[in-house]
Amino acid sequence: MKTWQKIRKNQSLWRKYFIREKVIQAIREFFIEQKFHEVETPLLVPSVIPESYLNVFATNLFDRHGNKQRMFLTTSPEASIKKLLVAGIGNCFEITKSFRNAETGSKLHNSEFTILEWYRINANYEDLMKECERLIKYIYVKVKSQKSKVKSVGEKSKVNHYKITYQDQEIDLSYPWGRITVAEALEKYSRISFDKIITKAAIIAVARAKGYSVNDNNSWEEIFNQIFLNEIEPHLGTHGKPTIIYDYPKPLAALAKIKASDPRFVERFELYIGGLELADCYTELNDYKEQKNRFLSELQTIKLHKKIVVKPDLDFLEAIKQGLPTCSGVALGVDRLVMLFTDSVSIDEVLLFPAKDLLGV
Amino acid sequence: MAKISTSDFKKGIFIEFKGEPNQIIEFQFVNPGKGSAFVRTKLKNLASGKVQEFTYKSGETVEEVPIMTREMQYLYKSGENYIFMDKNTYEQMTINKNIIGDFYRFLRESELYQLLILEDKVIGMRYPKKIRLIVINADEAVRGNTVMGAKKIIELETGVKIAAPLFIKKGDLIVIDPISGEYIERASKDDKT
Repeated sequence: MKTWQKIRKNQSLWRKYFIREKVIQAIREFFIEQKFHEVETPLLVPSVIPESYLNVFATNLFDRHGNKQRMFLTTSPEASIKKLLVAGIGNCFEITKSFRNAETGSKLHNSEFTILEWYRINANYEDLMKECERLIKYIYVKVKSQKSKVKSVGEKSKVNHYKITYQDQEIDLSYPWGRITVAEALEKYSRISFDKIITKAAIIAVARAKGYSVNDNNSWEEIFNQIFLNEIEPHLGTHGKPTIIYDYPKPLAALAKIKASDPRFVERFELYIGGLELADCYTELNDYKEQKNRFLSELQTIKLHKKIVVKPDLDFLEAIKQGLPTCSGVALGVDRLVMLFTDSVSIDEVLLFPAKDLLGV
Repeated sequence: MAKISTSDFKKGIFIEFKGEPNQIIEFQFVNPGKGSAFVRTKLKNLASGKVQEFTYKSGETVEEVPIMTREMQYLYKSGENYIFMDKNTYEQMTINKNIIGDFYRFLRESELYQLLILEDKVIGMRYPKKIRLIVINADEAVRGNTVMGAKKIIELETGVKIAAPLFIKKGDLIVIDPISGEYIERASKDDKT
């Protein structure tokens, strides 16, 4: 049965979707109160930032003469928003759809999903760690205050110390949240010293000693992430508090700035709550040369992995060359945030038209 | 044994994990932030029954364990062993309680079960999706636990005792979850297969 049919039969199923509404309204209010601009960027674009770990949707645009041009659906609004930052928009945010191909068969991914991105000028990733804390708490208050209205009259509507329950875990959203660097987490949960896995040969040796099956074709990133997913991720945001894990190794740089005090790492963090990976943040890379090198290396990896070859967004490179202001940005999975606030185990439960319904699987 | 890739993963198949046969009871794809695709699995160790999670790189290969199923009829209990028979060949097999696990409590004489065979040895049992058994005793009422709805202890035709709602009577046919061993619902008598 499709979701709309289930809801038609059981009106109480609207509850999660009304919480979804509240979450999105709260996000908007949070940023508008702080005088952020809300921007709109295109979803259908002729070129994208090359990211070897993503599969893009490609399609064709025809002009009136039937001439064809290859187009792509954006995997995030990042490239366009950064152009607006170069143009001088200042602090801004967008709530939009993004598309990632070949991500079916998962409780955490839907090929079309809702993403929040916000950028703060003259801020670094540590400033945005605090902003994440404020945002989530703000949403909590908005969502809970709505809920408490339906509580019985005698019951006092107290804020309950910012506690939520997600999948039988009680999580306290009050400050401070847990913070751990990637290197500390490796040491703590995997007993690996980061110095011992810097080269590919070294990480292969460490992974093999731990019993992982790896070969020379595996990238450093794949091997690192397999250790991360098996040994570290299960501990993130699952000990009663959200966890911010930060200072990612350089090979996982994406578009983050290299850490000035230690160039082995980049200024990037991820936010986990209740085991859900919710947000990814960088102090944004604004070094044109470094950005260009990452473009080229990603394009090579895409060819190597025989993925859909994308047209790189040279307009984006040009924008970075002209000068991206010092800023930091966060990408947050809105559907996953709704999963957290509605205690849902699967992303399907918070979408009115999940890919599962549309694809009939 | 045959090598298979994560793209061949299916619920219910058996693979070698840390040198032992494990059943894939759940799997899903995950992509860490700015990372490649991985397959997160829940694996149940056939010998110990222990369930653990393991995340494979997408495309990683593993050994599939060639486990066959053989339909056999349960005959009777002999000490700690259970005697089954192949209805076609009349061949009998003696299976230890450990192999059947907690499910032994629900074995019904003359019923057919799917046994899991690896290299001619019985290594486990594929549980039916639902167990249906007749209630032979339903007098005992239990106090307390009113939060979850009142329950009482009933006795089933195999001699096992489980908790069920108060309305269950002697002679009722009930449905039980084979994994948790808990009462699910009352079945209509025509349901019996």
